[in-house]
Amino acid sequence: MRQFYSPLPITGAMRWRLVLGLFLACVAALANFGLLFLSGWLLAGAAFAGAAGMAAQQAFNMMLPAAGVRFFATLRILSRYAERLVTHDTALQLIGALRAWTYGKLAPLAPAGVNDKRGGDLLSRFVTDTDQVGQYYTDTLLPFVRAGVCCAVAIGITAIFLKTAAVWLIAACLMCGVAVPFVTGRLSDALLARVATEQGVQQADLAETLQSLGDYLTLGAAERQQEHILRQQRALMAAQRKLAALEGAARGIITLCATGTTLAVLISAVEAFQNHALSLPEVPMLVLGSLAAFDVLAPLPAARQTWGRIRLAATRLHAACAVSPLVPTPAIPAQAQPPYNLKLANVSFRYPETHQWILHKASLSIRQGERVALIGPSGSGKSSLISLLFRFYPYQEGKISFSGMDLSSFQAETLAQNISVAAQNFHLFNGSLRDNLLLAAPHATEADLQDALRVVQLHAFVAQTPQGLDTLIGNDGFKLSGGQAKRLTIAQSLLRKTPWLILDEPTEGLDAETETALMTSLLKARPDATLLCITHRRTVLPFMDRAIRIENGAFHSAEEARA
Amino acid sequence: MRTQQQTDWQTAGLARRATRWLVAAVILGGASCVLFVLQLATLAHAVDDLTFKGHPLASTYPALVQVGALCAGSLLLQWLADMAGTEAGLRISASVQRDMLRHLFRAGPVGCATLPAGQIVTTMTEGTAALEPYFAQYIPRAAMMVVLPGLILAMVFHLDGWSFAILACTGPLIPVFMALIGYSAQAIMNRQWVQLLIMGSSFLDSLRGLGTLRLFGQTQASITRMREMAEAHRRATFSVMKVAFLTSAALEFFASLSIALVAVVFGARLLNGTADFRSAFLVLLLAPEYFMPLRAFSASYHARQNATAAAARIAEIFAIPELEANSQQPQNASGTHSAITALECQHVSAAYATATATATALDDVCCKFSRNQLTVLTGESGAGKTTLLRVLLGFLPVQAGHITALDRHRHPLALPQGCAGWLPQRPLMIFGTVADNLRLANPDADMHSLRAAARQADALGFIESLPNGFETMVGERGTLLSGGQIKRLALARVLLRAPDVLCLDEPTANLDPGSAHRITQTIRQCAANRIVIAATHDPALVRHADQILHIENARVENIVFPKDAAA
Repeated sequence: MRQFYSPLPITGAMRWRLVLGLFLACVAALANFGLLFLSGWLLAGAAFAGAAGMAAQQAFNMMLPAAGVRFFATLRILSRYAERLVTHDTALQLIGALRAWTYGKLAPLAPAGVNDKRGGDLLSRFVTDTDQVGQYYTDTLLPFVRAGVCCAVAIGITAIFLKTAAVWLIAACLMCGVAVPFVTGRLSDALLARVATEQGVQQADLAETLQSLGDYLTLGAAERQQEHILRQQRALMAAQRKLAALEGAARGIITLCATGTTLAVLISAVEAFQNHALSLPEVPMLVLGSLAAFDVLAPLPAARQTWGRIRLAATRLHAACAVSPLVPTPAIPAQAQPPYNLKLANVSFRYPETHQWILHKASLSIRQGERVALIGPSGSGKSSLISLLFRFYPYQEGKISFSGMDLSSFQAETLAQNISVAAQNFHLFNGSLRDNLLLAAPHATEADLQDALRVVQLHAFVAQTPQGLDTLIGNDGFKLSGGQAKRLTIAQSLLRKTPWLILDEPTEGLDAETETALMTSLLKARPDATLLCITHRRTVLPFMDRAIRIENGAFHSAEEARA
Repeated sequence: MRTQQQTDWQTAGLARRATRWLVAAVILGGASCVLFVLQLATLAHAVDDLTFKGHPLASTYPALVQVGALCAGSLLLQWLADMAGTEAGLRISASVQRDMLRHLFRAGPVGCATLPAGQIVTTMTEGTAALEPYFAQYIPRAAMMVVLPGLILAMVFHLDGWSFAILACTGPLIPVFMALIGYSAQAIMNRQWVQLLIMGSSFLDSLRGLGTLRLFGQTQASITRMREMAEAHRRATFSVMKVAFLTSAALEFFASLSIALVAVVFGARLLNGTADFRSAFLVLLLAPEYFMPLRAFSASYHARQNATAAAARIAEIFAIPELEANSQQPQNASGTHSAITALECQHVSAAYATATATATALDDVCCKFSRNQLTVLTGESGAGKTTLLRVLLGFLPVQAGHITALDRHRHPLALPQGCAGWLPQRPLMIFGTVADNLRLANPDADMHSLRAAARQADALGFIESLPNGFETMVGERGTLLSGGQIKRLALARVLLRAPDVLCLDEPTANLDPGSAHRITQTIRQCAANRIVIAATHDPALVRHADQILHIENARVENIVFPKDAAA
């Protein structure tokens, strides 16, 4: 656990809350012990005095012990309430901090680091694992500390009255506080690991199924996919059933131990009473006192099981977050200075764990203000160039410089201040049109948004929708057509007003008329911009200064393309 | 029929799915309670004998052994009751999950997109999981709340009138009081559940868009947003907890008060010698147990609130209308049904349902698609090309008009799901190898047919150049392939099923001219024995069309038959 907590910001205030929570938990448990211990004595004492006759009745002082009972009862209620408030609030704060921390760790890994992790699984990791790790304190640490403190006190007080009863209590504490949790913990750890893995897989499969619903239906694979998920579900249920059986058995064993110990304490107390070593009221007092000790022992097997769950969650979170980015971030990120020229010299690049060179000793130079079309067969590395430029992936050979400085001195975020991209594998967020536009440029004004929409030829569409810019676009921009979604991403990149614009297939899915209108207004809106258009379409070429063809991992000038 | 089914997603309706297990849990739990009360009575008897009556230890050993045996028996029955409850909970949550998945498939991709994907996944996993403790714990405990206090009251009535009066008066007050608090807790709970769902779906959304966020330089801002959302989640959860803790504190207060009352009334009488220790000890052992089921019940009260809130979310998913065509069994393309030779659309209108209004996407469309013909849908983006394809595929219900499939004798045919192949604009790849993705269409396909389909879609070349050929992993959503490669792989997959009707949405988009040309040739060849409908802007593909439907503003503006015109 330590290794996991170390990167977390546990502030001084939070540490004190942890201690306060522990203290309150112990107070509540001890109040419960005191209450049972004292009321057992009071009841038997009153009965004894009542049976002994008038004088004993007069001598029996009920006021003081009764006040003690009231005190313990009130203390128990108040401290339990306070304990719950403090511990749960602390746990929730921890969870919140963990969530932000996890997200912050994952964000710089994207998109290379999250490539082979499946979206659904990450979701389960994030929500469930952070929840569980955050509850380590309330669900595991606290029950064990409380049991340790309270059992020590109960054994100590019992020993004052009767040594043999204390020995029985020690044996019970070792059995229920150590042996049973240890054994159930060992047995359930393996089951828990299986449940966790299967839940992760199931969630990922569900997310994937949902994404590909239409594909599954038209491919006739819908029934097969449902059966597949059902099979997973059955395996999961079997493991969950075993876990529940184990949990119930542990609970039963502890209660059985409680009864056994109570009987043992009763027998030894009665023996002591018959030997006149104990007074009569002290017999029920010790019996009820040992019962109270079991109140803190009972939650321990469950706490141990929870610990197994938490350890799994912590390991998984750690594994997801500890991946180091493929491209190291520079210690002091440089700021780009004009002129923003891009130069690739003999660059070779392939994706990690692949053998095929995407670029091989490729050279390219684009000066500020140029308008360049990048053409070439699909899969030839046109889109990879963007990943390379933003340092999402490392290149193996050669040198890339931007504004005269080596690319490795920049951070992706710094580069984003100078380069806007309308990528091919763009993602639109579930929200309104305005949300998505403002996500790219948080400080854009209403007029800016309208201008950008006009440039990309979306203003007419937006104007005719009843909610205008507040129209919700659905999951992945589902309510937009392919062309509209594409143009929305171009509007996003325009709003960012960066010196460089990279448009990946800007006019894909558009008819010729809209395409011309878009390109014309784009050039009019940003006459100064350095423009790199990745395209298949020859119709875009007349708007460009020159065209570069990428083929077999190298860039070739394609002057003939202009003709 | 519909409203009948709606109520089934409420918790009471769900209980019917595992009635027998729930009844078993309650009966076993009740039997365990009887043994437990007997155990306490025997114990009190033994303690009294040993202390006040001064019996020797040896004579009470049988009683003590009996206590142990009763305890073991009661625990065994309780364990069996717990297992029966767990079984009921597991069965119900599993069956709901199964039905939900089936429903989602019946609703189709267009219907499901009305809710965020993250929300649906969260409801299917966490939502159905929230049902489990409700049936495993809440319902058996609710039943025990009647059984055990009833038993104890009967026992106490037999022992002591005063204590009976106190317990009988205070007991019923507690549930009334708790219901009052629970009412406000429910409202807070509902709010928190929405927060959780928003968090769940927004994280999946943010994860998918992490690349885009980085390109925009918004990574830091999104982390801040995430932190704010986590804080909002904490506040929402804490406000629920505060109410829950106050409820249990109040419950504990009432319980302590009435136990103290019982003790005080007994104490005074014991001191006066008008009551015996045995009854007093037993009543005081029983009194906390009288309130224990109430406390256990209040501890599982949040299980009910979670389950009720989850049931509402589950009902929301089941409220997505099912598509009628999907009620038929999917039919294999190689099945015995006679081949479709024509598809006719008569005055077809369709619309997307949004939260506030319906947006007309197709308006009075009349057209005909014939076998051996390549039909191309042209028109501005957003005009309704994709919508027409979705209607033909049965993903979007027809609001008015008919779509009729005809066989070669012009007899109308049922349009079975799965007879039409679909190549979407952004085809989705499953996590697995190239071969896994192809075999989605036909799990039994051998290597030979995979290669043939890949060759037909012009994908064989690039597949063979991949490091592991057909066994290469494609990554999440096919991220390790280029856009054009994904499209060609998806086309190969569709062709593997040899569908009667082939719907293609921008098939040549993202392909270089050479590859696009070859794909166009392939599409042309495919039309030889089936109906092919392609939405496109690609003039090269339009040139190969037998029929061109120009769509504008959700209507078919004109239909051109280029070959007839040339003839």
